[in-house]
Parts: sequence; C-alpha cells; structure tokens
Amino acid sequence: MRLRSLFLPLAAVALACGVPAAAGNKLVVAGQRIAVAKSAMTVLPTSEWNRLGARPGRAAETWTLDGDALNDLTFYGGIESGRPLFREVSRKTKPLPTVSTTMLVTDIPALLENSYRIALGTASMTIGTIEPATFAGAKGVHFTYSFVRQDDTLRRRGEGRGAMIGGRLYLITYEAPALYYYDRSAAAARQVAESAQL
Amino acid sequence: MRFVRTMLAVMAATMLAVVPVQAQEKTGVKPGFTLQPGTARIVLLRPSIRVGAQSTAGMFEPNADWTQQARENIGRALAKAQGQLGNTVVDYVEPVGADAAALAEYQALFDAVAQSVIEFQFFPGNRLPTKKRKDQFAWSLGADVARLPGLSGADYALFVTTEDHFGSTGRKVLQVFAALARVPVTAGVHKGFAGLVDLHTGELVWLNADLQMGGDVREADGADKRVRQLLEGFPGRPAAATVVASAGR
Repeated sequence: MRLRSLFLPLAAVALACGVPAAAGNKLVVAGQRIAVAKSAMTVLPTSEWNRLGARPGRAAETWTLDGDALNDLTFYGGIESGRPLFREVSRKTKPLPTVSTTMLVTDIPALLENSYRIALGTASMTIGTIEPATFAGAKGVHFTYSFVRQDDTLRRRGEGRGAMIGGRLYLITYEAPALYYYDRSAAAARQVAESAQL
Repeated sequence: MRFVRTMLAVMAATMLAVVPVQAQEKTGVKPGFTLQPGTARIVLLRPSIRVGAQSTAGMFEPNADWTQQARENIGRALAKAQGQLGNTVVDYVEPVGADAAALAEYQALFDAVAQSVIEFQFFPGNRLPTKKRKDQFAWSLGADVARLPGLSGADYALFVTTEDHFGSTGRKVLQVFAALARVPVTAGVHKGFAGLVDLHTGELVWLNADLQMGGDVREADGADKRVRQLLEGFPGRPAAATVVASAGR
C-alpha cells in the first residue's frame, strides 16, 4: 500500500514529463484584436506570433516566434488573490508566492522575481529598473529583469508591464536570451504589451 | 470478447501515439544551402561536453572523471573525422578571459537554438505556424557571432555539444517498475547536437540533433560512434567518406 502511494505520484510525474504536451500551436494573425489568457484582456498585434498550446498556468498563455526558450511573450490575465502566477510543480515542497488583493504595483516585480527563483531554481534573478507606467488604461508598472536558469550559462533579459485591476493581477512579460534574440523581437513584444486593453 | 476489443482499441491508440515520436526528424538544412568540397574554411569550436549520472528522480549529477574521459575520446574521434569532411576544418584557438565567457555564452545560445529546433521543427506535430511555411529552416545565432576572436577569415563555425546522463541503478529499477504500470520512464539522456553556422550571416545552415544518440562517450569506440552520428550527412563531405562512415555504424 505504501509502495503504491509512493508509486502513483511518480507515475503521474513521469507521464507528465515523458509525453510531449498536446501541441495545438496556433497562429496569431496581425491586425486583429484578440483576447488573451482566457481573460477579458485583449491585445492588438501588428505582426504575426505563435500561441503555444502548452499554457504556463490556468490564466496564462505564451506567444513566441522561435520557441519559448528563444523568445517568450507571456500574458497573465487577471490572476485572483491567493493564486500563484503559474502552475506549481509541488505545492508542498516548492510553494510559489501568491497574488494578494492588497498588492501595490511595486510588489509585482518582487512577485515575479520570487516566483522565478523558486520555479526555475535560479539564484541569479535580478530586477533592473522599476518605473510607473500606464498599463491597459490603469496605473501600473514597467520593469526590467535578467536571470540565468539553473544548470545553464545563457543570460536572459526580460521586461514586464502590469497592473492590479479590480483586485486581480494583469501582467505581460517578454524575455529572451540577451545575445541577439532579446533585441530582435523586443519592439514587436512592446507593441503587443502596449496595445493591452481591458 | 468485449475485453479483447477494448484491448485492441487501446493497443491501436498506443501505436498511434507512438508513431509521431518515431517520425521525428534529426537533420535540418537551410533550403538551398549546399557546400562544395574544398571551398570553405570551417572552424571547429571546442566541443561542449557534459557527462554524469541520472538519479532515480531524473536529476543530473555531473561526473568529472567521465567528463574528462569523454573530452579526450571525443577530441580524438573528432581529430580523426576532421580530415574527411571535404573542407578545411581547423581547431579553434581558445580565447582567454572575457572572450572565453563570450564563447561559452554563444555555445549556450547554440544549445538553446538546437533544443528549439528539436522541439518546434523536428517534431512535425509541434511545429510553430509561422515556421511551417514553404519547408523553411530559419534559425540563427545572429551575425555578431563572427565577432568572436579567432573567427576572422573563416566561413563557417562548427558547434558540437554532447550531454550524457547515464541512468543510475535506482533509475533503471524505476524504469522496470514503471514499464509494468505502462508508464514510459526513460533511463539516461544522450543528447548530441552538431551545427554549422554561416559566419557571414549568423544563420544555422545545417543541424544534426538528437536526444537519444548512440555510443558510450566514456570509451574510445563509443566516442567514435557518437562523432560519426553527429557528423552524419555533413555538408560538402565527399561521397566516399560518407559511405565509409555509414558502413561503420
């Protein structure tokens, strides 16, 4: 019985890791306003993107041009209080920080930083600049960051735009390797993030 | 009877699910790219080699001795193969200091690109819609890669990466138990990427990449086999050498 209780979660994990996620990558066409992250947030991209079938969390989705390791534009659409930004690997051993209704906009970069430190096992995540910005018509924050994933030497840069609207967190992040890839699609990613509406 | 029918349906579904994995591609070439023998100067960058064990839970545990053995073996095998690639292949002169860090970062970028090619190009079912069109193979490290010291005068850079996680006893036992429960658990990872980057544009023009390569890199014979697989179909290689290489597999 004990063996079985140990074995079943292992089997579930193996299934989750071993089988490639159901694909279903969809084309995001240019010039059409589209709802993102199963939420009321919409964006209007002026160039084409790919929406990945695999979502980082229930209220999140990722767009990319060359794969999420090379350019990753992720939308967090109205994360409720008490919920983490993305799916937890293990609620028991690796719990992620959660959104709170009372969060200030300056708490948003810290939430992302702490979530990445735990989820990616990275010690080298740093927040660069933090400045006030209008996001989706609300008072929000714009910030930059950089990090290196565990067991990797590739430095990645990122930037986020977010706001607390109606007690929920709306956030768009763009990240890519600092070498070549970040600059290559930063303008396209910024355009999408700045077009966000609720 | 009903049970048999159900079993057959399950088996059929399993086979269908397995097919796309088998149909996975392992080589990509930029459309229209050809390399004539004796026309290009290629710089072979120092291969990035990591060898270790895979714990029961699947975590990688590096092993310095194995890595050292693999470095020597693969170095020897590459030196043997280098002369038969049809073009001048020279070893890269190692940079020092800040330049060494820049090289390491480009190798990490090459790995990330190769992984993305495997995930989003070689698995046809997972291809990105913007990359599906007209047989394209559009992947790049950026034109700045040519600015790495020691690459001036060269036409192409050859990146080679291998990473081996040998399954520990615990992992293999888990694999057997998991197989009884019809759960796929892999014991061991044997990644190998070899890629040719055009130094005039930064584009990846040829890539051989697989997550389950053959050859035990800790032994000389195994390293020979691994290098043969890595360089299989290398552009610009004379036909005779290719035949010898594939006959030896």
